[in-house]
Amino acid sequence: MSKKKATKSTLEPLTVARGVGAGDDWVTVEVGDLREAMATLKSDGYKAYGFVTCVDHLPAEPRFELIYQVRDMDRKRQMRVRTFLPADQPSAPTVSDIYPPANWDERETFDLFGIDFEGHPDLTRILLPDDWVGHPLRRDYPVGGETVDFSEDHATWQTAPERA
Amino acid sequence: MEALATPKGIIITRSPGDAAGQQWLTVNFGPQHPSTHGVLRLIVDLDGEIIRAAKPVIGYLHTGIEKQMEALRYQQGVVVTDRHDYLSPPINNLAYALAVERLMGVEATPRAQALRVIMCELTRISSHLVYLGTSSLELGALTAFFYCMRERDTILTMNEEISGFRMHTSYIRPGGLMADSTPRWLDMLDQFVTTMPAHIDQYEELLTQNPIWRSRTIGVGILSAADAVEYGGSGPMVRGSGLAWDLRKDEPYSGYEKYDFEVVTEQACDCYARYKVRVREMRESVKILRQALDTLPDGPINVDDRKMLPPPREELDTSMEAVIHHFKLFTEGYSPPAGDVYQAVESARGENGCYIVSDGTHKPRRVKFRSASFNNLQLVERMSVGSMIADLIAIIGTADTVLGDVDR
Repeated sequence: MSKKKATKSTLEPLTVARGVGAGDDWVTVEVGDLREAMATLKSDGYKAYGFVTCVDHLPAEPRFELIYQVRDMDRKRQMRVRTFLPADQPSAPTVSDIYPPANWDERETFDLFGIDFEGHPDLTRILLPDDWVGHPLRRDYPVGGETVDFSEDHATWQTAPERA
Repeated sequence: MEALATPKGIIITRSPGDAAGQQWLTVNFGPQHPSTHGVLRLIVDLDGEIIRAAKPVIGYLHTGIEKQMEALRYQQGVVVTDRHDYLSPPINNLAYALAVERLMGVEATPRAQALRVIMCELTRISSHLVYLGTSSLELGALTAFFYCMRERDTILTMNEEISGFRMHTSYIRPGGLMADSTPRWLDMLDQFVTTMPAHIDQYEELLTQNPIWRSRTIGVGILSAADAVEYGGSGPMVRGSGLAWDLRKDEPYSGYEKYDFEVVTEQACDCYARYKVRVREMRESVKILRQALDTLPDGPINVDDRKMLPPPREELDTSMEAVIHHFKLFTEGYSPPAGDVYQAVESARGENGCYIVSDGTHKPRRVKFRSASFNNLQLVERMSVGSMIADLIAIIGTADTVLGDVDR
């Protein structure tokens, strides 16, 4: 996939690191600059939303890496923004007012990783039931930590995350 | 978080009502409703029959696919990718395979690329057929469903011929394909490509001028092009609003740049426009299929990389190296270098992407599926507010979401 030089000078002061991996452009920003970086990208033409997600780098520190993928449809290029969060009470500002479709992806990231998005209009679980315990996509949450509903030991699943 | 301590289920607050103090009626729609294409639940605020708010509640089909991918080796993961968007398995396979190939730094052979394109276009047709059949069925046009399922069955039979499996083919794999095409399959494909245009004419005869179908879809579910992009739409959702955006053209992959086809757009921004986009897209897919079949190159279907794909069976009898490679591949697998990659492909529903993070081991650290259904479903509220409750069925149908793809 051909990708041209992507970042504009306006993003430059916010950039901590940048590079190209397997053909994809990326930049790293501080979590405090995240909203400014995303707003800058959007005004630079990256109007189309890709996705927001998180990567758990357990046991490395900083543990969580937030990924924001956006696309410039006119110039046919993509940009990935990374920011790193600590293991303890990970929290980032929401971008759901800048990129509205991020609303659900941030809820999903909250649901599955336990990342708190400050300022999100409705930060509730989206895929799992509201009373779920734990965040399954964290690396310390075991596969098979859930038993089937209505089975004999169905009541014990809530202790599964601690077993790990 | 603290929100977890709340009681089970979704808490529905009282709807605010209008300025005169008239309360709106909150209605639960789904999850067990035949027109929701699975298990979608909507909480709808109604003012008489007019929709004032429609909040989708999802997660009923969440199967933890992304978690499962982390426990599987790169070769094994492809089987899981079939199962989130269960109407277009080869396209999901392709997104995953291309992402892994980019991490590994290999490129599929020309024959594999052409066969991948053929499988993806067949899938696009079969997925659009399901859309066409079910959404017309929901709006009272029963007949089209039977015609659509007839051709879809032909495609599933072709899947069975080439991969042994009707729906979840796992045919496209990192490094190449599961098997080469058979002469019988090529005959079936030729027959299909020859007869399909007449079949599409049949669907159009049933629907395009059908007064009930037209009155249920024209002017319903209006979505402007700017809104479609701003709120995360892709695929027929943006093309039905006049924006010629198609990843097959704009970010070509798997050799799509070699085929001559048109990016179909319609200007009307309503459900009828999106219906026409999908029907015309089927015709374009048939065009691509014909070209791909006529120019299908000879050659191997798998990359010649023993670190990624097993050696040929006959070498195992004579070569120690081959036995070692075979053993390593089926016990440990292969390990792409550390890094991450995002590969988007155009599925029948829009941008289906696969984001993989490798930490240098034989299992991915993280696999994220960017699903078109998940993002298109967010548009349902935008399209439905202000329209009548009966139109909600048309709007859900036109978004063409697959709930397995939404919930993953």
